[in-house]
Amino acid sequence: MAPEETKMFNFRKRLIAAAAATAVAAIALSGCTPAASRAGSPSAAADGTLTIGTIVASTTFAVNNSAWANESPYLQAVYDTLLHADPDGTVKPWLATKWSYNADNTVLTMKLRSDVTFTDGTKFDASAAAKNLLRFRDGTSPQKAYLATLADATAVDPTTLRLTLSAPNPSLLSFLTQNPGLEESPAAFGTPGEKTTPVGSGPYVLDKKATVVGSTYVFTKNPKYWAPQQQHYAKLVMNVYSTPTAILNAVKGHQINGAPLTDNSTIPQIKGAGFTANGQQLNFFGLLLFDRSGAIAPALGNVKVRQAINYAFDRKAMLKAVGQGYGAVTSSIFSPDSSGYDKAMDSYYPYDPKKAKALLKEAGFSGGQITLTMPTSSGFTPATYALTKQYLGDIGIQVNEVNVAPTSFLGDLLAAKYGSTVMQLKAAPTTWETLTLDVLPTAGWNPFHTKDATVSALAKTIQSGTKAEAADAAKKLNTYIVQQAWFAPWYRPQQTYATDPTTSVQTQTGNAYPYLWSFVPKK
Amino acid sequence: MLSFIARRIVSGVILVVAISVIAFLLLYAGGGNIARRLLGEDASAQTVAQKSHELGLDQPLISQFGSWVSGVFHGDFGASWFTSQPVSDAIVSRLAVTLSLVLGATILIAIVSVVLGVLAATRGGWVDTVVQVVSLVGTAIPGFLIALGLVVVFAIDLGWVAPTGYVQFTTSPQGWISSIILPVIALSLGGIAGVTQQIRGSMLDSLRQDYVRTLKSRGLSSRSVVLKHVLRNAAGPGLAVLGVHFVGLLGGVVIIEQIFAIPGIGQVAVTATSQGDIPLVMGLVVATAILVVLLNLVVDLAQGWLNPKVRLS
Repeated sequence: MAPEETKMFNFRKRLIAAAAATAVAAIALSGCTPAASRAGSPSAAADGTLTIGTIVASTTFAVNNSAWANESPYLQAVYDTLLHADPDGTVKPWLATKWSYNADNTVLTMKLRSDVTFTDGTKFDASAAAKNLLRFRDGTSPQKAYLATLADATAVDPTTLRLTLSAPNPSLLSFLTQNPGLEESPAAFGTPGEKTTPVGSGPYVLDKKATVVGSTYVFTKNPKYWAPQQQHYAKLVMNVYSTPTAILNAVKGHQINGAPLTDNSTIPQIKGAGFTANGQQLNFFGLLLFDRSGAIAPALGNVKVRQAINYAFDRKAMLKAVGQGYGAVTSSIFSPDSSGYDKAMDSYYPYDPKKAKALLKEAGFSGGQITLTMPTSSGFTPATYALTKQYLGDIGIQVNEVNVAPTSFLGDLLAAKYGSTVMQLKAAPTTWETLTLDVLPTAGWNPFHTKDATVSALAKTIQSGTKAEAADAAKKLNTYIVQQAWFAPWYRPQQTYATDPTTSVQTQTGNAYPYLWSFVPKK
Repeated sequence: MLSFIARRIVSGVILVVAISVIAFLLLYAGGGNIARRLLGEDASAQTVAQKSHELGLDQPLISQFGSWVSGVFHGDFGASWFTSQPVSDAIVSRLAVTLSLVLGATILIAIVSVVLGVLAATRGGWVDTVVQVVSLVGTAIPGFLIALGLVVVFAIDLGWVAPTGYVQFTTSPQGWISSIILPVIALSLGGIAGVTQQIRGSMLDSLRQDYVRTLKSRGLSSRSVVLKHVLRNAAGPGLAVLGVHFVGLLGGVVIIEQIFAIPGIGQVAVTATSQGDIPLVMGLVVATAILVVLLNLVVDLAQGWLNPKVRLS
């Protein structure tokens, strides 16, 4: 080898050696930090840390503007509620130990605990509770309507709270277990840091130093908490995962003790990683047939057309094709947890395209005469729209799809721009909530404000009748709505919450996340 | 040189202002009903209207833009509508995370590309062929697929590193390396492929120059010729491509941060844009525009330092 070639060879050798050394050093440095040492690893549960995944960041800690459901874990960590709900929805005492209604259910009197203090030292009393309730009623929470009938809230004495209602609210006690019942220190109202620095009386306090807003929220035990038996962990870590892939990777890497699954197709992999898939049904999915008076879609004004649409769909096939088989078919919008639920309504409309065609004929429509304009959104899979078009096409109803930007989709639907749509909505755990969300003329998801004498009469009984009368009316209302085909639900999709082998949890009726006190380390 | 820098800064400021105006108009034009998106499907129409008023969305567009500009001049970019965090805090806390990924990837690209480019150009033969094939493959495979593959192999199957999350350097230097190594590798591969090809091509061009033969004839070692002369001449085009890749990495990091759940600018950019979080998006747009303007300035200055001809022109 010539001297020049030898030098070049040596130079190349050094280049290769340098590259190799860099690679080895990097791998060694990373490899010597075991994944298990990171927050949220399985061993973390043993040292008293519960690490859970969430799919949204905390919008605000200001109770009057707070959101429930996906944000409930953040709020439950730092705030107490007036009442508690068991996993099955049963209302239990909490800050309020006793309560009673007057004869016409328009005045609710609650007896409060006297041994509770907010983390800023302010004492919790009836005055603080009244201020919180009125402020929530006047705020901009998505659940603000829960207190729409609250005329006033007053402190009779430090431990007695009186709520005066403009009309009975059969779901009020249930609502007071959620964000309307959260108790924030009145001293924190309107302060500059209120939205990011919670001051409550809850089991944990936000560790702002360890928290990365929008990504990771860390909470440490409130040392002065009045109910220490509810503090199952010394520390809570809530990591925000914005994609199903990130959740799956966190589960497979055993970085979290629990997380909601936004994609049920990952369930086999989740189970393969040793996690338990805890399922429940919180929503209904299918067609909303808004225009029951036929204002912009005349055919929908005919009940036989709406019934025909219900008969047109093979719900089992839809569940299998769109919902990967996770869920339960139904023709009703009522949750199995609500008093109005009737199992018979789940199978009220079997797949029967012949009957559908016959109904259309009876209604005076022959094949191809009906065209429904429906919005499409990237929020649902293309298969959903393709199958909708196919099933309706099979009975002679054409679908004119209008692609709507995700930013406008909800607003357009609620502004009554379309007579029907594919949509997934909450199957509310109480009948009254179902009515206020989807059925009454004032309900948001009744954008054409459909009025019906039978519905009004039954709703009145549900609102003001005895418990037995209300339950009977709720079932009758469910049956009536299904028979009138106000909706064409296909199925209730399974909402899945995954937990690791070290964590025990019970899913919460009506909520996407198990309540915080339901998480318990497995022994 | 000073007038060159001044001209660049003035044009950069104009660019940032223009981008801000266009971004603001586009966001509002395509924003839809932001209050409805913020409150969700169950909120009543009255609550949505109340929220719109609270956010100032019921004001005329020019008034909203004026308020935003006025706030910016007072150092107040507003607060995120979806996390309530001040925009400046959100950007500063996340910028360090993203820059650690992008700078890490840039350094890795620079080192590996120089090594591979020099090897391919000077050795030729099968080494050159292998480098070319690897470069082609690196260019063809999208970064997110590489990221997913790395997660499956090194984080899930082997368990060497955690699949998601980020550890601050101040918390644990080792944990920090552990948390960024896979994202950095995933980000780098495409860049390595491109810059390696550029270095290789520039090296081959330079090696064919007369001055190389002259230097060798004067008895300089090949190592000296390659490192001190050829590589320096070939570095200019490589640096230009590296600068372009740096800007590209700011785009690529968006997906990578999503996959690894890393709290960086990319992750928040995707979330804020899809939600319609206008204050945060505007802050990000301005911050990114300033970053890119500064980067281009640095690259131009570095080019001038490396090549006197650039300084003269």
